[in-house]
Formats: sequence, C-alpha cells, structure tokens
Amino acid sequence: MMRQMPRRVMLAVALVFAAIAPLSAQDQKGTLVFAVETLSGQTLDPILEGRPGNAVYQAVMYDSLVGFNLQKGGVGPGVAERWELSPDGLAWTFFIRPGQTFHNGDKLTAHDVKFSLERQMSPGSLAAAAASMRRTIKSIEVIDDLTVKVNTNTPQIGLPAGLSRAVAPEGAIMPKAYIEKVGEEEFRKKPIGSGPWKFVRSVPGDRLEFTAVTTPHWRGRPHFKDLTILLVPEESTRVAMVRTGEAAIASIGPETMIGASRAGLEVLSVPGTMQAVFQFWGTYKPSLKDSPIAKPRVREALSLAIDRKQVIEHVMNGKARLPYPFATFGYTDYFSADRWEKWAAEAYRYDPVQAKKILAEEGYPNGFELKFANTALPGTQFMVDIGTAIADMWTKIGVKVTLKHYEWGSFAPMERGDQAGLIGWASMYRTAGRPDAPWRYNAAFSPESTQRLLGDKETCDAACEDFVKTYRALGSELDKVKRTALTDHMVDVVAKSWTVIPILEGMGYYAINTKKVGQFDPIAGRHELGDVFERIPRPEQKPWKK
Amino acid sequence: MKRYIARRLMQGAVLLCMVATIVFFLGRLTGNPVDLMLPEDATAEDRAALTQTLGLDGSVGDQFVIFVGRALHGDLGTSIRMKQPAVDAFFDRLPNTLVLIPWALLLGMVMGIPLGVVAALNRGGMLDRAAGTVAVLGVAVPSFWLGVLLIFVFSVELGWLPSGRMGGPEHFILPVITLGTFLVAGFMRITRSAMLEVMESEFVKLARIKGLSEGVVIWKHCLRNALIPVLTLWGVFVSNLITGAIVTETVFAWPGIGRLTYEAVIYRDFPLLQAVIILKSILILAINLGVDILYAYVDPRIRLA
Repeated sequence: MMRQMPRRVMLAVALVFAAIAPLSAQDQKGTLVFAVETLSGQTLDPILEGRPGNAVYQAVMYDSLVGFNLQKGGVGPGVAERWELSPDGLAWTFFIRPGQTFHNGDKLTAHDVKFSLERQMSPGSLAAAAASMRRTIKSIEVIDDLTVKVNTNTPQIGLPAGLSRAVAPEGAIMPKAYIEKVGEEEFRKKPIGSGPWKFVRSVPGDRLEFTAVTTPHWRGRPHFKDLTILLVPEESTRVAMVRTGEAAIASIGPETMIGASRAGLEVLSVPGTMQAVFQFWGTYKPSLKDSPIAKPRVREALSLAIDRKQVIEHVMNGKARLPYPFATFGYTDYFSADRWEKWAAEAYRYDPVQAKKILAEEGYPNGFELKFANTALPGTQFMVDIGTAIADMWTKIGVKVTLKHYEWGSFAPMERGDQAGLIGWASMYRTAGRPDAPWRYNAAFSPESTQRLLGDKETCDAACEDFVKTYRALGSELDKVKRTALTDHMVDVVAKSWTVIPILEGMGYYAINTKKVGQFDPIAGRHELGDVFERIPRPEQKPWKK
Repeated sequence: MKRYIARRLMQGAVLLCMVATIVFFLGRLTGNPVDLMLPEDATAEDRAALTQTLGLDGSVGDQFVIFVGRALHGDLGTSIRMKQPAVDAFFDRLPNTLVLIPWALLLGMVMGIPLGVVAALNRGGMLDRAAGTVAVLGVAVPSFWLGVLLIFVFSVELGWLPSGRMGGPEHFILPVITLGTFLVAGFMRITRSAMLEVMESEFVKLARIKGLSEGVVIWKHCLRNALIPVLTLWGVFVSNLITGAIVTETVFAWPGIGRLTYEAVIYRDFPLLQAVIILKSILILAINLGVDILYAYVDPRIRLA
C-alpha cells in the first residue's frame, strides 16, 4: 500500500500538469508534409533569397514587418500592428506588436526591425529591392523598444506595402543580437526567427524541416507538431505522393487539376495570384509608325478576338476568372475594384465581328502579320498553352501569326537594352498578384523602366506623359480618396492604350489529401502557403466538407 | 603502361580545359541568372545592383580570366543560387547519385548478360525474339514515362513502394529499375552479339572437339571471352549514369548530381554549371582511364598494341 502511494501521487501530479500544461503540448501532433516544385536557393537567410523562396519556406519561420489582410488579401498587420505616415510624407512610424520573441527567447524589438531593414539594404544583400531601398530610405530611427521610424528621401506612400510579404520579402525581421553574437555564417547554418515554426534542418536538394512553437503566436499556433517541405520537381510525382499520403499538400498546375480531382483529391484554388497578359513592345517607336500594332485600335481588336471564357474553360480547367485591368485585382489598394470589374467585363468581351470591323476600318481588312513571342515564367508553364490558344484565335480574324517559343531565361534578356529582338513584337507576359498597383505600373510603363512599354526618354507621347505625371502625383498623395482617383486614372491611361492586355486572372492550385489535413483557407493573392501552414488544421479538427 | 597512363592524363587535362572553356561561354549565351532571381517588376537599378553583387557586371572576357585564375587554384566559384562553394554543392550531392549506380549496374548485368547468352544460344528462335523485344523496349521506353508508370502502379495503385525521395531500401527499388532497364537492354544486346562471335571461334570448336560439356564451353570459355566488350560497355554505362540520371532523379525527387545539373541550367547558375560539368568530366575521364587499364590487363593484345 505504502509503495503504491507515491505512484498514485505521481499519477495525480501528472494529470494536474497535463491539465494546466500549455494547450500546445496536447494539441500539436503529427507532421504536415508539403511537396513543392522548387526550393529556390534553399537558404534561410532572408537577404540571400528572393520572393518565391521567401514566400514558401522562409515565411514559416520569419515574421514580416507588415503582414496580410487574411480575409481580403493584400496588406495587413504583421510584426508592426499599425503604422503612420508623417504629415510631410517623409517618415513612416511603425508600432511594434508587444510580447513578440525570437525562437531563442530574445525579445523582438524596434532594434531588430532597424537591423533587419539595414541588413536588407547592405552591399552583400541579394534582396530584389536592395538598391531601391538604399535610394529611398534615408535613415531608420529607433524611437523606443516598440517604435521605429523610417525616414525617406521623398514621400514613399507604398513603403509599408513594400515591407509586407503580400508584396515583397524585404520586411522579414531577423534577430539582431543573435546574428551579432554568432556571426552571419553560423546564423545561416542555425537560423532563428520569430515565426510560428522553428528551423530544424535543411537537406540540400531534398527538404526543409521545421517544428512548431509551443507558445501562442499572433499568426496562430500551428496545429501540427512538425512541418516538412519536400522538394519534388515532377508534378505527377507530387500528385502521387499526395495520393499515397506521403505528402498532405502539393502545388500543382491547372493542367493537373482534373486528374487530381478524379483521383479523389481535394483541389484548392487560391484566387487572384496572377494575371496572364499579352503586351506589345516599342509601339511608340518612330520606326514602327506604319506598323499595325502601333495603332491602339488594332491592339484593341486583337483583344476582342480572344475568347477568354474558352481559354479559362479549356486551358485553365475553369479555375480562373475574367481579369481586371492590368496588374489590378479585387484586393488592390486605393482602387475602385467594382467599377473596373464592370468595365473589364465589357472591354475584354469576345467580339470577333467587331474585331474584324476595326481591322477593316484601320486598313487591314485581310489581316496582317503579327510576330508573337510565347514564353512563361518558371512554374507557369500553362502560359505557353494560353499563348498558343490566343495565337490561334487571332488567325480566325485574319491575322497571320508568327509564333516563336522562348524559355524564360532566354526571353528575359531581350527586354533590356535596345530591345532589338522584341520591338514590333507582341509577347506573353504575366504579373504576380500584389495589392500595390503603382509599383508594377512603374516597372512596365515608366520611360526610365526596363520595359518602357508606353514610351521611352526620346519618345513619350500624350498617354506616356499622362502616366508619368499621374505616377509622380501618386508618390506624394496622402489623401485616400485622391489617391484612389489617381490610381484609377493611371489604370485608365494604360487600359485605353491597349499596350498590355490582360487575358485572365489566374489562381494558385493545390492537391490535398483530406485524410492528412483539415479544411483551410488560403490568403487571396498569395500563391504560396508559407503564411498559411500554421492555420492548417488536422483532419479531425476540421474535416473537409463533402 | 606508365607512358600510356601519362599520355592519357595529358590528353585528359587538355580535354578538361576545352570543356571548361566551352561550358563557360555557352552557359552565358543562354541568359542571365539575375533575370531569374528578380521579380518581373524589379527596377533597372535593382537589376544593376544585383548584377554587380553577383560579379556579373564585367565583360565575359574579364569573367573568364577571373574564372581561369580561380580554377587553377581549385576554386570553381560559389553557386549563385545556393550561395555555397560550387564544388561543395557537387560533392554534397554526388554520393546520392553514386549509391544508385551500383544497383542499376547490378540489375543491368544480372538480367542483361544471362538474357544475352540465352538469346545467342537460341539464335532466331522464340527466346531470341523475346530477348530482342526486351532489348528494344529497354532502349525505346523513355525513362521519364517508365518512372511515372512505376510510381502509378507500385506506389499509387498497389501501395507497395514509396513514390520517391531518398530513404530506406524500399526507396531504391523504383529508381533502380528505371535506371537499370536501359542497362538490361544494353548488356543483353552486347552480350548476345559478343557470344555469337565467340561461339564461331576456333578455340570454341576445339573445346567441343575435346569433349568438354556444353555448359563448360558456353559459360566458361565463350562467356569469359564475350565479357571483354561488356567490360568496355560497363565504363560507358557508368559514365552515362553519372551524366544521364537527370530524368530519373527528377521523377523520383532524388537529390543527386543529375538534378543538380538540371537546376544549374534552369537557374543559369554559371559557377555551379561549370563546376558540375568539369567535375563530371573528371569523373568520366577517370572511369574511362580505369576501364582502359583494366581492359589492357584482361586482353594482353591491347597492352602490346
């Protein structure tokens, strides 16, 4: 009896501990396995990785200064719970969410924010926007432990969006004290962040492993105990792994959706992740003044000849939608989405009769010859099918299309310099889903940009000048109503130039084994799941609706 | 023999220099890693900065001089994508490929050589035709398709084997079959033709006249001599497996050097691509030299020549 007492006491103590122990110890179970087509550089140092890698696997362990609006998509609170612009527009103050810690227990403070932004801007940084940040950010001041002020050389209305993972990876917050203590090399081997998942190990070319934090996290405490992100380049293998249960979720393309569905897998679509467009190069050049594609109405006719619903149905298996104007989405900031949705429904209709009529009126009753470069960014191979489909549709209004296929790595260099290989051509292109339209418009239409689709420094017509003026005004407009009006005007200038013409708004697609994970919602506009894993329930917690 | 080896080493060094030069310039003709690292809305300023950070802002000639200078000191550069020394990346992945090769070779030899012998012994008969069909299928079936088919049957439908990735012994079966099928066909064809040639030889007739049993004549005298061209083919196959496992490694998510090469090409990771091809070339030259030396020992006529 006496010998049994301690056991009973121990059992009681254990039960009490189990009852009062953090919920995490009880409700985090199993491993969430995600199969993805690329791990990009497979580095966990945010300054060495671009957007895709950041969004897939760095996002799980790093928080971003500005986060997501989980319901609508676009920008929302992150490490900073709110931010304010100074009256003169030259400083943004970010107010840090209290109580955040890194995985080693260090508190996350304004010093870490300052350190992280400066590290992104440092000479050794491979961050895509490092040079832009160096140019625009004048200084960063720590006001107190939870307040940091970013001073800019000129008004930068879009700065918070640029520091949100909804747009770019440069807002990732890194641990200042830890990196200064162990050095960069050691940090790269044993990285720590403040996200809901802690780094466990990286097996080059194979996988990344993480384990869930057991304490509450503002992004949500993971329901699974561990997370493994597998590199499986071949799509059919990824789908097979989901079918066999070796992986719970796999990224897939639209061409695989039907097969995955028929195989009994759940197919999840993430809305508004990209826009497939076609665009015309150098239409303003004096050398092209007699070319049909120099005429906006001819370009409009080419748009009218596209049966977008057919493309959506047959190339995208119905999992896409009619687009908004170029680089805009339902979640675009300072943008009259409803109005433009109606406009786009009419403007991007299928009307081959009207298309032929316009061609005849413009002096091309028998069509003309069009050179068309078909290409696709990595991971969007369906773009090539879209390009082939629309080229076929153009032939039906008499346009003789010379179609040339380019692998993206060969196509991209042609955009630069004098664009000799592209002037006078149309090409496929795409734009990623982001809430900040002006940034993307500047990259495509500024006379100083690489693409300079509306005009260059030598030739900038009325539409081009209107765009430049509007974009400049947007950079310093603080009033939300006026800013929306300016964005709408910028969109209007470009839409009516018919230089870049949206074909469809695409989605991100995932095959899911419903026995391995419960039902979850992605973030609109965010193809990757790096900021979603912590909210994915186990199947018994939230079964998928039949 | 020493002079022969020295001469082959010299030839190998010249060949390596040529390979390195060609890879360096051809790689740069296909594009730029900066285009694949930056988003489509990157500014010209950001592009210029990244180009400079990656050391790609100089002329191709300048870059080549730097490359040669470093290569002479054993430094083949740092992977642009993986941010680690390219040589380290290669040797990190090499063992993953090397563990597959012996099994694929074993499968090829265990299946292919007996099939070749049987086909030769039944020349023109049903067994010969059946073996010929195996050979044609082994060569004609694309390894990509075969790999996917095997996954579908044995992983998805039957649930017997994993779909891919490195792991325990069960993870090796499907990739080895995919790699080895081509080898079965190759070994079968070369064994068959070598056997047919040897079976017509005078010494085989003499062995039969001497009254040796048919089994001894075939398996000891004929096969032994027929294996000389098989040995040559073995070297070729190992080289092919080192360079040609790209498809199998991609289908089965196997993190070997085949996939590393593919990734280096796709991402325009010039230092990695150069390192991978140079190091593969060294491996293949070493294997070929080893086979030639072995060949000389097996067949004294070659040594004398």
